Amino acid sequence: MIVLTPISLLQGGTLPTLAQPTIIAVAVAYFLVVAAIGVWAARRTRSASDFFVAGQGIGLWTMAVAAMAATLSGFAFIGGPGLMYSLGMGAVFIILPIGVSGTLGAWTMAKRIRLLGEARGLITVPDAIAARFNSRLARGLAAVAMLVAIIGYMATNILALGLVIDAIFGSGLFAGLWIGMAITLAYSVSGGILAGVYTDLFQGAVMSVASVLVFLFTLKVGGGDAGFAGTILPVDAPFLAPWGKMTPLAALSFFFVFGIGSLGQPHVVHKFYMLREPRKLKWYPLIMSVAVIISLLLFIGVGLAVKSLVVRGELPPLERADDATPFFLLRFTPLLLSAVVFSGVAAAIMSTVNSFMSVGAAALTHDLPIAFGRKVTNELFWGRMSTVVISIVATVVAGASGTLVAFLGIFGWGLFASTLVPSLAIGLNWSGATRAGSVASIATGLVVTLVFETLAFLEVFTFPAGVTATALALVSSLLVFFVVSWFTRHSAAATLDDDVRFVMEV
Amino acid sequence: MTKRIAVGATVFATCCIALAYASAFVPGGGEWGAWSMVIGLATMVVSLMVLGVARRGRGVGRLAVPLAFTFVVIVAGFGAALLLPVETVGGRLVLGLPLRAALVLYGVGLLPILVLPLAYALTFDDMTLSEADLARVRALGVEYRARQGADAAGGEG
Repeated sequence: MIVLTPISLLQGGTLPTLAQPTIIAVAVAYFLVVAAIGVWAARRTRSASDFFVAGQGIGLWTMAVAAMAATLSGFAFIGGPGLMYSLGMGAVFIILPIGVSGTLGAWTMAKRIRLLGEARGLITVPDAIAARFNSRLARGLAAVAMLVAIIGYMATNILALGLVIDAIFGSGLFAGLWIGMAITLAYSVSGGILAGVYTDLFQGAVMSVASVLVFLFTLKVGGGDAGFAGTILPVDAPFLAPWGKMTPLAALSFFFVFGIGSLGQPHVVHKFYMLREPRKLKWYPLIMSVAVIISLLLFIGVGLAVKSLVVRGELPPLERADDATPFFLLRFTPLLLSAVVFSGVAAAIMSTVNSFMSVGAAALTHDLPIAFGRKVTNELFWGRMSTVVISIVATVVAGASGTLVAFLGIFGWGLFASTLVPSLAIGLNWSGATRAGSVASIATGLVVTLVFETLAFLEVFTFPAGVTATALALVSSLLVFFVVSWFTRHSAAATLDDDVRFVMEV
Repeated sequence: MTKRIAVGATVFATCCIALAYASAFVPGGGEWGAWSMVIGLATMVVSLMVLGVARRGRGVGRLAVPLAFTFVVIVAGFGAALLLPVETVGGRLVLGLPLRAALVLYGVGLLPILVLPLAYALTFDDMTLSEADLARVRALGVEYRARQGADAAGGEG
């Protein structure tokens, strides 16, 4: 039995069976476009640099939209509106940091990561950590943490993809898992991240248009004569309270984990390496932020509209919150638009899986060998092999046990955040940070996340409302980073090479 | 100096956030815990921005205004949601939402988007990355690769 947790909701969740000719036709068309992009990208992928960072040849719009698409996954269209329907305004705190996080990421990391790529030809996130701290141990630990998180995160995404494919084609979950993985793997292995970013661009553009159209429909039918607030407030006032049905601390905790934690998501940070011209970063925060806002209109609109429709008795209360988007689309929007959104969900999950495949393969092929003092001679070939291995492992995990998938998925985001935020967001901007501080914070993030999530999963204890293992791990790794750096401050200057120092000071 | 202050502020913010989580384990800690989280979040967001903005020997210059604005918006938005009374049915709506929810969604969620990306773009050439900066990085890259090449050749020899 598959147990869905909030994290699996974030990745996509379940869908009612949708199999209808129009929906199937649009889904097939979608997959054909993705296949065409894969073939085109495969012909242009000739080196490890092409495979992992698109040869540093991506334009600004492509990079910004790809970063947006990789960030949102199927969450924006399925899990998010469902969460909004059940938690009310509290769910908004997951996306509320968008107001600051795009520019925050640009100021703290985009320029420095891209310049490190320029100066040293770096291609991975652990590359940046190793260059900053001159440490193979920090590189290796970061790569291990990323691999563990990637397997968990990919497994939840592949499970969600299997559910969507099953819902569209009626294939059954097991077949849906392997069909989804096979399609994603086909274009990822052949075209690497180049195929991924252009698929992201296509899918991100479709997502944005679909989101706006669906939002207009939510305004038209959702509010009724009294509007959303006039309908919902008399019946369920807490739904529209600023924290929704959560405590203030729990809602604010979302802001912390998803806002500050976003600085440590390697599938997004990794894209900064790909930008062709570093000075094009000038407009990155604006394009990224606007693209995200547009794509999230559906998240808020559908959540409010479905709640309003349920209050007015025009929809029965949902048994599963994840049904909010499918129910709304199938009942209140044209079938073609529904089909585009359903296919968009599949494509969104595929784009996220592709990003993880690329980041994971790079960690396995590039970072771990270097951490052990070795270098793989044919990184392109072994990158492709690693992509296959990681994908198969994640799919087996996704199919093996629903509760295991949920368990692994829970700490995917948390592991990225707690292990990478201190060394990247602070380490790249503060010359007082030390190698020991970086290693200690990565180890702390890894251990605290695994221990607390395992204990919580085994129900050894329950956290009070608002406290999560992810949040505790992020706070702990930040504190350890500062404390250890302070105690070892005499060694701070020794870890900095001239070019890295310049990149940090510029 | 600016970076040192920003690091100190980030440490302070981390402690505030840790304290907020600790409050959840203390009976009656919810209210001050929420305030501790608000102060910690606003401080951390802005102090990390300052860390990214500040260059060697320089402060944040004219970016002080948008950065201060961001801090105020976050504290005021969340603070108002904590302080203002619960809305009643038939009360005033702001852009379709009750006042407190509107302050959070439109204030904290949207207002910074109107300011920060533009502030980033308008100050990019002189405060983030100029042509001269990029040329220097490229020159350092050439030096680095030459050094690596020499080391490799020496190693082989």
